[in-house]
Amino acid sequence: MFLNFFYILKDIGIPVSPTSFLTLQKALHQGAIQTLDDFYTCARAILVKSERYFDLYDQAFAHHFEGVPLPEDDGFEIDEMSRAMLDEWLKDPKKLADILGMDEDALKKLSPEELLDYFKKRLKDQDGEHHGGYKWIGTGGFSPVGHSGHHPGGMRVGGESRNKSAVKVANERRYKDYSTQGPLTQANMGEALKRLRNMIPTGPKDNINIDETIRETIRNGGEIELIFDRALKDRLKVILLIDNGGWSMDPYIQVVQTLFDYAGAQFKEVQTYFFHNTIYDYLWEDPARYKKPKKVVEFSRLDPDTRLVIVGDASMAPYELMAHDGSIHITQRSGRPSIEQLKFMAKTFPHTVWLNPVAENMWGYTHSIMAIYKIFSMFELSLDGLEKAVEKLMRRD
Amino acid sequence: MSQESNLKFQGAKKYVLDQELASIVNISMKLEMPLILKGEPGTGKTMLAHAIAENLNMPLIVLNVKSSMKLVEALYQYDTLTRLNDSRFGDSNRNVSDIDEYIKMGKIGQAFCADHRTVLLIDEIDKADTDFQDDMLDVLDQMQFDIIETDKTVQAKHRPVIIITSNAKKDLSDPFLGRCNFHHIAFPEPKMMRKIIAVHFSDIDAKLAQNSIDAFYKMREVDSIEKKPATRELINWIRALNADPDFRAKDLIKGQLPFLGVLFKKSPDYERATNIASRRRMF
Repeated sequence: MFLNFFYILKDIGIPVSPTSFLTLQKALHQGAIQTLDDFYTCARAILVKSERYFDLYDQAFAHHFEGVPLPEDDGFEIDEMSRAMLDEWLKDPKKLADILGMDEDALKKLSPEELLDYFKKRLKDQDGEHHGGYKWIGTGGFSPVGHSGHHPGGMRVGGESRNKSAVKVANERRYKDYSTQGPLTQANMGEALKRLRNMIPTGPKDNINIDETIRETIRNGGEIELIFDRALKDRLKVILLIDNGGWSMDPYIQVVQTLFDYAGAQFKEVQTYFFHNTIYDYLWEDPARYKKPKKVVEFSRLDPDTRLVIVGDASMAPYELMAHDGSIHITQRSGRPSIEQLKFMAKTFPHTVWLNPVAENMWGYTHSIMAIYKIFSMFELSLDGLEKAVEKLMRRD
Repeated sequence: MSQESNLKFQGAKKYVLDQELASIVNISMKLEMPLILKGEPGTGKTMLAHAIAENLNMPLIVLNVKSSMKLVEALYQYDTLTRLNDSRFGDSNRNVSDIDEYIKMGKIGQAFCADHRTVLLIDEIDKADTDFQDDMLDVLDQMQFDIIETDKTVQAKHRPVIIITSNAKKDLSDPFLGRCNFHHIAFPEPKMMRKIIAVHFSDIDAKLAQNSIDAFYKMREVDSIEKKPATRELINWIRALNADPDFRAKDLIKGQLPFLGVLFKKSPDYERATNIASRRRMF
């Protein structure tokens, strides 16, 4: 029963599991669900496990039981698809232009938003003509290897824009809140991060050490001698700085997202700040980099034992890093070049790593990566790199 | 089907139940599945368990999860120290060679061993490590656990009604969610809030209730407030207003909001709220 409904939920993007569907059947079988209202609430409680999907569930429910058409644009599958397409385009503009039957030059003139809209339209057309016809998109294609895509319209559109100077970013897409998007996926990333812990005995001595107590009691000739220890607590403070600016980081959102999710789950004390491209006068607590700025100089007041993890592609025009007024945001030109700020951070926190989503063998081709590489220990944002980074962060020196 | 599973939850004296939540609670009891409740603080997640226990006349067992908690602590504890003490002095009537005498049940263990069906509230499970949830999967699935020291299995005599709460900060792990039913309690609408207030203050002046609730929702909308006031704060605020002999309900309309410290508990929030309250009239 309600098999169709189940598959609509699945198709619309809600992670539903067969087990929970069986549970629903059990509930129906027991006669616990009498009315459609009951069904609505109970099926939701059983099938949908996060309030993020409640809205989608409502849409699917209205569609299935009342025939309301599913909204097409909002289905985030299409969004994901077009995003993947954009990435594909960054890698090989020509191929995509061919496939879409468009002139490469005409394609280049579109702004990214227009491009996305165009993709979406095309996707829908395709869906109408033959299902499953967009396999060639290759959703997994977030690899940084590929051609350089440069946008002649004046806006930089990807991390792939190697060696090309960025023009001041005008259409910045702000509201990429890594912290609220998407479920956890790569469990092994969490495993790698797990080692980033520093268990120190803290607090009053109120934990009884059984082994020591028995040993001491025996030494005492059977007279009980209680030995107490302090409890072990993870006292590691972690600051996570994430580059969420502009288009150059977009291909890496998934991987950064995963990292962010795990950081939140793993560490007791993790503070996250955001920046764009590189660090100037301020870092922001909110992903939109708008509401809660924090002066970089204020970081000197924090515990120098704090582990600092910076995530960014470190790819930018040389002047953005070196010039006194290098910031692409006009409000942030205090006269200290970004490279000085980076050196300041590295000096303030001895335990610092820079995680770069760009593949390691490509670093040598970008001037700014090499410059930053000289300041921070840089690791690739991959499982391997992450493990090395954790090792570096935990080293006692 | 046993008689017990036919019990229906219908709300309690001090708890205003919305119909949706009632049917979710009832279906979870019928399916004998744990129910996970998420939602902002102050939406009555914890209160729900109390209300169920009160309404169905079941004992309530509360497991307050702490950040350093291991699952074993919630299941049982092997009291080595007492045993050591007894073996040395021998002045108790416990049998030192019988380990069972030194096993104390934790909260989950108590719920399993109880002679009657109980309500087990696992409060703020997201505080603990993800390991805690993972370890709990089997226990919830099988409704049993092993005591390693004595190699015995504790089986639940009656499957407890399990309510698990989580503050929306972190996502729980997928396999864990798969074994539970889920509900997200939204912040109550003003209409609902009126009912809640009516339940808590039976003889409240209608005007005071109305004005304070209006003011409360207005204050919740103030921008960039770190910790929004919740139901608990509103109830305390009304209590404070009631206690003040100089206070008149129509002051609230004029934008005079006394005792803002009851609503806003972080100093930047408080300053912001006082500023705004004094600057603009609320209505």
